[in-house]
Amino acid sequence: MTSYFIRRVLLIVPTFIGVSLLVFTLTRLVPGGPIERMLNEAAMAGNEMGASAMVGGYDGVGGSTLSAEQLEELKAYYGFDKPVLISYLEWLGKVLVLDLGTSTRYGEPVWDTIRDRFPISIFYGVTTLILTYGVCIPLGIAKAIRHKSSFDNITSVIVFFGYAIPSYVVGIAVLTLFASEWELFPLGGFVSDDFEDLGFWDQVRDVFNHAVLPLLAYLAGSFAVTTLMMKNALMDNLAADYVRTAVAKGMAFKRAVFRHALRNSLIPIATSFGSNISLILTGSFLIEKIFNIDGFGLLGFESLVERDYPIVMGILVISSLLFLIGNILSDICVALVDPRVRFGSDGAAG
Amino acid sequence: MIKLNPLTIKQLKRFRSIKRGYYSAVSLTLLLVLSVAAELLVNNRALMVNFEGKLFFPTYGAFLPGTTFGLGYDYETNYRELAQRIHEQAGTDDWVVMPIVPYSAFENDLREYEYPPYPPSVETRHFLGTDTTGRDVLARLVYGFRIAISFSLLLLACNYLIGVTIGCAMGFWGGAFDLFFQRLIEIWSNVPFLYVIMIIASIVVPNFWTLVLVMVIFGWMGMTWYMRTSTYKEKTREYVLAARALGASSARTIFSHILPNTISVIVTFIPFSIATGITSLTALDYLGFGLPPPTPSWGELLSQGTENLEYPWIVASVVVAMGAVLLMVTYIGEAIREAFDPKQFTYYE
Repeated sequence: MTSYFIRRVLLIVPTFIGVSLLVFTLTRLVPGGPIERMLNEAAMAGNEMGASAMVGGYDGVGGSTLSAEQLEELKAYYGFDKPVLISYLEWLGKVLVLDLGTSTRYGEPVWDTIRDRFPISIFYGVTTLILTYGVCIPLGIAKAIRHKSSFDNITSVIVFFGYAIPSYVVGIAVLTLFASEWELFPLGGFVSDDFEDLGFWDQVRDVFNHAVLPLLAYLAGSFAVTTLMMKNALMDNLAADYVRTAVAKGMAFKRAVFRHALRNSLIPIATSFGSNISLILTGSFLIEKIFNIDGFGLLGFESLVERDYPIVMGILVISSLLFLIGNILSDICVALVDPRVRFGSDGAAG
Repeated sequence: MIKLNPLTIKQLKRFRSIKRGYYSAVSLTLLLVLSVAAELLVNNRALMVNFEGKLFFPTYGAFLPGTTFGLGYDYETNYRELAQRIHEQAGTDDWVVMPIVPYSAFENDLREYEYPPYPPSVETRHFLGTDTTGRDVLARLVYGFRIAISFSLLLLACNYLIGVTIGCAMGFWGGAFDLFFQRLIEIWSNVPFLYVIMIIASIVVPNFWTLVLVMVIFGWMGMTWYMRTSTYKEKTREYVLAARALGASSARTIFSHILPNTISVIVTFIPFSIATGITSLTALDYLGFGLPPPTPSWGELLSQGTENLEYPWIVASVVVAMGAVLLMVTYIGEAIREAFDPKQFTYYE
């Protein structure tokens, strides 16, 4: 099994190269080249915000004033003067020594920009994770034990809503209702503007107030899936012969559930655990955009809009690596909780 | 007429007996049919005009200039004004029948001394109000639904065609072909889907067809994988071995033995794929990377609504519409899954 995991880890390399090469090539396909495009846009937008930042420190009077020579310099600076494959290899070489390049918008290293956003995304990610597992596992158990009772039916309806309606729509709905109509919670952001001046408890309350609605949206997404997974897995196990045998031999039903069935029912939950790793760090750019939370996702979205490709690529590197590692972690989790699983032998991995 | 086998009839019966799913299927089909005929319900062209003894049906076909009805302009007749005019003229036999919602999805209803968005009002027949540029929200919802659902269905057809073909081939032949596609799928499904579509959409402004194409390019893997697994499973079953032993060709084995038995996998996933299609299109439109304006779309309405939270009717209309449609689709999905799943829970007390 060790050899299986080593092979999985090694397979990250070609997959990562495939993904990053694809996206890298795409970012180079901008007609007329991104530099010209930026300049045109800057010229069209006049002296609007960001124009000067976009051309990397040049005075943003408008692109047309740049000479051909300056243009070449700019292209060389961003590596647009070389064929795609060569500049990709250069980029990859830099990534290997952990240099993600410089943002064309902020003019600071990509890694620093990304790192600044991590705490916010981690805050939401970890809280969502704890709440999801903390609520869904007990709820799933309760629903499985009281299958077809009114409790099960009522919670099913709620869970179903969360399942059917995508989390960003839930986000927009709660934002309109609770923040705009009833003004119970702030409209967005991570903290208030006067956060620095508040006392400790007020700060805690401030963060909490801002977090309620986005957390609701995040939860709506993961809530239904995990609850139903828990419920179905437990029901499967309750119907299995070994539980029947245990009860037939005189074991109390509760004990049979918690000692025998529950342990085996946690296996599917473990499968999804690894993929949460990437969710913890990267969040959802839709939800972050709706609530204007300055996290990882919003950064990615903004840099796409502004065509800040070094950041786009940087985010891609981090999120795809996390995703790939998360997948392997999932497999390890499954192997840990389920002694029957033997990866590497035929078919088990499929 | 295709002859249904007893199992299919049984499954259909079981589907009908699941009330939630069955009624959702009926109402969704009804909505679909209505949306095909949306021009008859939501339109700024009249359904029927009786002018000086002659009948006109302006809904479909080329536009009728204002001069047709004795109005002093050559551009398309404003039927609402025409109706108003005829109403005010006493003693004529002329009449105009307008659709229930007499606005098109593209038309800005501008008034003097008042700025859009206008709140919902039965009097002006803006049943759900207007958006920030004075376009009728209901009209945009209806046409947006039509675009979203046809987008979703087309996407589904393409994805499943590719998925079933490649997946079946992978599972059936295995070997190098299987390995090659396995690796390709692994790379492909690690590409951050929405992210890449956003990059592409920021390079070329997509239209309906290019957006479908791009979404297919990055969305065919799911079905392929499921089909591969289930073909793989079916291939080792006795009935396939028996067929092969009797000398059935590969084509016959696939088309008349394996495929019919994997149908349940395909059918079970259809509703969820439709929901995903609608959700992703709306998300892209919401972010501004979807269909170009002024295409009516739910995502565009959502983004207008979130930017103008003081006009809650915009957000409310879309959220309710989207919630209702997705809920119906999900109910259908659950019902299909239950109907096709022979495993009923034997529950122990």
